[in-house]
Amino acid sequence: MDPIEREIRYESDRDPTFADEIRAMPGCELMDRCIQCATCSGICPMSDAMELTPRRIIELTRNGFKNDVLRANTIWLCTSCYQCQVECPKKIGITDIMYALKSKAIESGAYGKKFTIPILAREFYAMVKANGRVSESRLVQRLFMKTQPTRFLGMGRLGMKLMKTGRFSNKVERMRNPEGLRRALEALPTDGRKRS
Amino acid sequence: MMTELHQNGQEEVRIGYFVCHCGTNIAAMIDVAAVAEYVSTLPNVVVSKDYRYMCSEAGQDLIVQDIKEHRLNRIVVAACSPLLHERTFRTATQRGGINPFFCHMVNIREHGSWVHEDRAEATEKAKALARGAIGRVKYHKALEKRREPVTPAALVVGGGIAGIQAALTLANTGKKVYLVERDPTIGGHMAKFDKTFPTLDCAACILTPKMSEVYAHPNIVLWTYSEVEGIEGYVGNYQVRVRRKARYIDEELCVGCLDCVDECVFKVGNVDDEFNVGLSKRKPVYMPFPQAVPKLVVIDPVACTHLNGGNCQKSCVDACERAAINFDQTDTIEEIKVGAVIVATGFKTFDPKRKPLYGYGKYPNVYTALEVERLVTSCGPTEGEVVCRDGRTPKKIGIVHCVGSRDHQTNRWCSRVCCMYSMKLAHLLHEHTGAEIYNFYIDIRAPGKGYEEFYERLQEEGNHFIRGRVAEITDIPKVAEEEGMLTIRVEDSLAGFVRRIPVDMVVLSTGLEPHADSQDVRRMFNISCSREGFFLERHPKLAPVSTTTDGVYLAGCCQGPKDIPDTVAQAGAAAAEALTLLDTGYVEMEPSVSVVDPIFCSGCKTCLNLCPYHAITRDDAKGVAVINPVLCKGCGVCVAACPSGAITQNLFEDREIFEEIEEVLAYA
Ligand SMILES: Cc1cc2nc3c(=O)[nH]c(=O)nc-3n(C[C@H](O)[C@H](O)[C@H](O)COP(=O)(O)OP(=O)(O)OC[C@H]3O[C@@H](n4cnc5c(N)ncnc54)[C@H](O)[C@@H]3O)c2cc1C
Ligand code: SF4
Ligand code: SF4
Ligand code: SF4
Ligand code: SF4
Repeated sequence: MDPIEREIRYESDRDPTFADEIRAMPGCELMDRCIQCATCSGICPMSDAMELTPRRIIELTRNGFKNDVLRANTIWLCTSCYQCQVECPKKIGITDIMYALKSKAIESGAYGKKFTIPILAREFYAMVKANGRVSESRLVQRLFMKTQPTRFLGMGRLGMKLMKTGRFSNKVERMRNPEGLRRALEALPTDGRKRS
Repeated sequence: MMTELHQNGQEEVRIGYFVCHCGTNIAAMIDVAAVAEYVSTLPNVVVSKDYRYMCSEAGQDLIVQDIKEHRLNRIVVAACSPLLHERTFRTATQRGGINPFFCHMVNIREHGSWVHEDRAEATEKAKALARGAIGRVKYHKALEKRREPVTPAALVVGGGIAGIQAALTLANTGKKVYLVERDPTIGGHMAKFDKTFPTLDCAACILTPKMSEVYAHPNIVLWTYSEVEGIEGYVGNYQVRVRRKARYIDEELCVGCLDCVDECVFKVGNVDDEFNVGLSKRKPVYMPFPQAVPKLVVIDPVACTHLNGGNCQKSCVDACERAAINFDQTDTIEEIKVGAVIVATGFKTFDPKRKPLYGYGKYPNVYTALEVERLVTSCGPTEGEVVCRDGRTPKKIGIVHCVGSRDHQTNRWCSRVCCMYSMKLAHLLHEHTGAEIYNFYIDIRAPGKGYEEFYERLQEEGNHFIRGRVAEITDIPKVAEEEGMLTIRVEDSLAGFVRRIPVDMVVLSTGLEPHADSQDVRRMFNISCSREGFFLERHPKLAPVSTTTDGVYLAGCCQGPKDIPDTVAQAGAAAAEALTLLDTGYVEMEPSVSVVDPIFCSGCKTCLNLCPYHAITRDDAKGVAVINPVLCKGCGVCVAACPSGAITQNLFEDREIFEEIEEVLAYA
């Protein structure tokens, strides 16, 4: 295929509802005000490692280029430090938009099968939902199982040693009343939208 | 009085020399103390001083004091350019009690310290120049400024919002104003708009009351369908010739009932309607638009069968109950006298056919912004319904900014209003059609009160802003979605890739440029044009509405692209400048004019055609040339040209110039 041809984007490359879906998520309402000043990209501590800078994420999102946005590593590299959001001259909820995009990406599975960060996010949530607390050692084990199972097995000896010295425990942490939390979580909408 | 004594040349010449440090502007490169000391040794010099800021009150007082104390009768000030402070030091000289023209300035800043790099050499040059001035100033004579009365009336050329505002402001102060407009109605471009940015108030609602006010104003003489043919005279006293084109309608009788238009043998229009920029047709007898001022019809001699020599039953004549139609009417010439002129001839829009890639004239659904202004207005050709030339209601519209502007191939300048009017049209088009709107821009330039906020509003309304200058508009589809559409190809430079966007309708935001006849107008009023052809103000910051011709002022887009708020402000400023002149009642003429000595003049007429200001005539009875001191600007052309050496120029007499040169040369 002609490499130049590949760069052209047609209108059909845009997802007609994507921008509206993001706009409807909490904190993402003001996206259209962005003047592409690039303060966000300049201030972001992670932008040099991002495939698309935060400014371009905003531009592509509001234009509906869903695939470009959800496939980029940007949303997963965002550390939620909120520096961009604090400095944005148009008060755009950039970090919130990053969250919204992450949940869209998880929803649509638009990331590599064994991509660590979304799996971490999902396992973390599942654990909190079940027990009300995170048991770090168990979380790490689950993460390794799902992303790098062979490496995980190779680390068995190290794990035994740590366990013997009491630095690693398989104990499951639980909150006293997980029922209350469960009810609270159930009351939340699952699609990330604001409740009216 | 001292002055009189000096004039007879009897009294001893006593010169005061003052050299200015100008802070460090001069003193850093010229040893001013050394210059002052040198000058004190020259003949006739009584006082020679250096001072930090000669133009300050204290510096001026120094001159005044020394004149009195040392009975000085000549003053030389070595400082900056006489353009800046000649008046200051002449006034100080006068305050000291002697004629101001006994003062002479030497420019050692622009011609000295600012252009040299060697302090020793710059100091030597300052001494040489000082010696020249000391030599010449002894021949100076007492001169008087002449005062000429001013005709208390003004001419305003062009009846757009600029001309309207200027005329009303002047007329409201009680001055008589002649407003000359080329078209059959006043209003200019603004009359064609539906709404105005950024407030989106209705253009007609704010403009037509002003138009009516012009018509009804007792101090305004309104001549539409007229043009200035010639102007002679000088500041305060211009004679103007105005051609009033034949309307073939008796203005006194016509009441604008439009019966003639209805009854015209052409049942539908037969020529392009200029007011609707060609989007509709009009008849040979027409009124440009319902709120036209004056409310008169006009017959177009090119479109009218009868006036074209054809055989017409002239049903219009029968239709007019007031017998207002007069096919025998001819152009008339009015001669008027005015003291001041305000040029407010406005602009024209760029012809997008000069950018063939945008397909204007090729694809019917490519429009200019001005056409869209007419499409969205309820009194326009479609009564506000936005339908394309091919009958479709657009669902996707592309607005292309900067057409013809910021472009070395066409117009290099930014037209300043296009970003804003594009956004206005985006809003209106969306309001009328619900279409998805794409703005293609290079930069959004929204530098006015409430303008950035308007941009933000447009963003929030969901308009797409795509940064990239459109490269091409084509009807050749590459993919299915482009079938039957106009596809815009652009690099979305913020997203980082090339896009192809199919739309139903394209709006070209054409820039503003000078009228085709702006050079003729410039020559007629003896003003200058800047490189791009807009009329040139005297100073871009400090004299923004004046021109290099005294008594001629500028207002509106003829001076450069601007929006309505700036146009109105500038028109007010031009009116204030004109009023200052008219209200003063007289003009002072510089005495540095040339004079013909009839004894030496051989009447050869060499000088007559050379004078750029037409100041020289020949007195045929006496057989000699005569210079009108009021018209003479003191350029000196005639002095140099006269083969008999019969012309001298005040302040530039031969002996003054030769003495100055000799002394400068003698210094070396
Ligand atoms: C599409 C478009 C939309 C715009 N929208 C807006 C807006 O929403 N808000 C805003 O603030 N600005 C807007 N502008 C800018 C606005 O048009 C100008 O600021 C304004 O019209 C300038 O007024 P003017 O009187 O200087 O010039 P003009 O309106 O051009 O008026 C000049 C008048 O002089 C006459 N004339 C010309 N030559 C001669 C001559 N030799 N003798 C006698 N008469 C002569 C002309 O016939 C005309 O009537 C827009 C411009 C364009 C092109
Ligand atoms: S800082 Fe805000 S306005 Fe600037 S580019 Fe980023 S999101 Fe847009
Ligand atoms: S919140 Fe995310 S995108 Fe914003 S600056 Fe921090 S890491 Fe970068
Ligand atoms: S010319 Fe007569 S018919 Fe025509 S508008 Fe004037 S008054 Fe009416
Ligand atoms: S000095 Fe210049 S302006 Fe005056 S008459 Fe001579 S040529 Fe004309």
